[in-house]
Amino acid sequence: MSAKTARLMGLLTLALMIAALFMVFVYVPTEADQGIVQRIFYFHVPCAWVAFAAFALVAIAGIFYLWLGQQIWDDLAYAAAETGMVFCTLVLITGSIWAKPIWGAWWTWDSRLTTTLILWLLYGGYLLLRAMADDTSQVARFAAVVGIIAAADVPVIVVSVRLWRTIHPAVLVTRQGGHGLEDPRMVATLLVSMAAFTALFGWLLMLRFALLRARWRLECAARELGLAAAAAGDLR
Amino acid sequence: MNGFATILVKDLRLEARGGDSTITLAAMSLLILVVIVFALDPVGGARDAATAAGALWVALIFSGMIGATRALVAERRNGCTAALLLSPVDRATIYCAKLAAAVIFMAVAEIATVIVMVLFFNLDFDFRLARLATIVAAGALGFAALATLLTAIADRVRGGDLLLPLLAVPLFVPALIAGVRASTAALAGAPFMAFMQWLKILGAFDLLFLGAGYLLFEHVIGED
Amino acid sequence: MMEAALVEARCLDKIFGSSPVLRGLDLRVIGGAGAMIIGRNGAGKSTLLRTLAGLTRPSAGEALLFGRPSTDLPSNLRARIALVTHQSFLYPTLSARENLEFVAALYRVEDGRADVDGWLDRVGLRAVADERVRTFSRGMEQRLALARALLPQPDILLMDEPFAALDGDGVALVIDLVREALARCSAIVIAAHEPLALDGFSFYELVRGRLARPVNELSRENLRPFGA
Repeated sequence: MSAKTARLMGLLTLALMIAALFMVFVYVPTEADQGIVQRIFYFHVPCAWVAFAAFALVAIAGIFYLWLGQQIWDDLAYAAAETGMVFCTLVLITGSIWAKPIWGAWWTWDSRLTTTLILWLLYGGYLLLRAMADDTSQVARFAAVVGIIAAADVPVIVVSVRLWRTIHPAVLVTRQGGHGLEDPRMVATLLVSMAAFTALFGWLLMLRFALLRARWRLECAARELGLAAAAAGDLR
Repeated sequence: MNGFATILVKDLRLEARGGDSTITLAAMSLLILVVIVFALDPVGGARDAATAAGALWVALIFSGMIGATRALVAERRNGCTAALLLSPVDRATIYCAKLAAAVIFMAVAEIATVIVMVLFFNLDFDFRLARLATIVAAGALGFAALATLLTAIADRVRGGDLLLPLLAVPLFVPALIAGVRASTAALAGAPFMAFMQWLKILGAFDLLFLGAGYLLFEHVIGED
Repeated sequence: MMEAALVEARCLDKIFGSSPVLRGLDLRVIGGAGAMIIGRNGAGKSTLLRTLAGLTRPSAGEALLFGRPSTDLPSNLRARIALVTHQSFLYPTLSARENLEFVAALYRVEDGRADVDGWLDRVGLRAVADERVRTFSRGMEQRLALARALLPQPDILLMDEPFAALDGDGVALVIDLVREALARCSAIVIAAHEPLALDGFSFYELVRGRLARPVNELSRENLRPFGA
């Protein structure tokens, strides 16, 4: 992955972000019920999409790592996890910011937000495992396994939390059910925002991935150096 | 499944020799129940199915965290994990044996807890308990499957004892939700169909983690 | 045509971080032969044995048992290898007999019961057969560990410092057992920090991550003060 690719990605992200910001704050009309605050929806939803997609990427990269044994897949998984965590945190924060003015509560236990919270805990556990196991040679394997089972669990979590919420009448009224976006401008804004945040994720992922690859190359070089030093010692 | 019975019997024997540790586990489970009663102070005390179910599952998770890992942890001494890996037994078989031991340890603690819970919450010993038993058994199975896999990892990581609950609890959420709801329904005497969907989720969860554990255990078991 | 080696290392590398412990190590041991590997503490003897046994993956090169990579042995071949290290592989709260019976069952030894008694006699632990291993001395544990390893009649025997902490009788026992294993056409690899005279054994020094054949004298790096 060259610096040039990363730079291009960065520029693309910048362009899309500017477009998205313009559309969110200028172009799109204010929603009738919720007022100005509703605009945060256009940040909240793309972040959620990215958080879940990133987690799937962590798991898929983990599967490839276990299957092929190549470090590059583990680096990809780690980069995706770190980046995805950022977006997952943003979902929770924007969700809170949105909830407070609308429902008067910092947190609602509605199904989507709750599921995202659990996803956040899973991300946290994954990253903590990485941090704690970093000095073992098996860290990549452990992380891959945890990533896989966590991602496999997510659909079950989604279903169970949704059932949990519908059967129990909500103490706090839930947010609007679907994305009932009547105005085509809203749809367009959402799509552009999705693209912008996906690009942002991609760019950050590339940067992080490149760093991990560099670290790997350093480790390989250190190993080679060790071997060479030992060989030189032989000649004495 | 060569070796499954051999390892399981050995683990049960070790546990029996281990100085009343399963009894201690049951006692701990009971203590947690008591703490919850004091902490939640159920209004109208008597027949509160929801609180009883909730208390039961909190006790299940806490006792499971300790009990479900005992069998695997017992191999740490004298390099016995390496010995098992060198032996002709498949790693998946080792997983099944450790899982079975975990279920048995949890079952002992859970049976004691259910009995005491019935007494504390003034419930009745009737058909509802049979349903409850099935649900709790399914939950214990899922937790054991999950914990056995995670313990294999946590054992090899420094500070891994913290890692186990951190990973296990979020992963266990669907089973927890389904288990508590199903248990509440069972205790309240609701018709069977009413909690079918929760049983389905529990079933799906168990299948998922049994399968995942069976397939992935070999990648994480080792001695370090 | 060379006879097939039971234990083989080809260009074996094992690197921890940036320090290579084993470098391009080669070894061949055929059935009925033994290799004694002499090295100082920290030379990598244990690493070599663990890698040969398949407990760790080589960083490069191959560690082969029965011609197959030792990390990927099918279970029928794993039944024919044994490893003896400073860890006893014994369960402290089980008795000597129970430990051996466990191994007999695990390795599907025919006539396990009878064999267990025989081995307890052989290693001189019949009297304490039903005592828990926790109560054993180090020497007794090691004897039991030997019985444990040899009960399944392994074709490959890997031993890491088997003579350490044994008295004269114990050492004689090990030598006897090793001789029998050789007669059975097993391949044996022993790691030690001092050489011991054994028929049928080739001697190697593990120096700087490689095996070298000392002719008569040990290298400067491996000489020990006499009596140490």
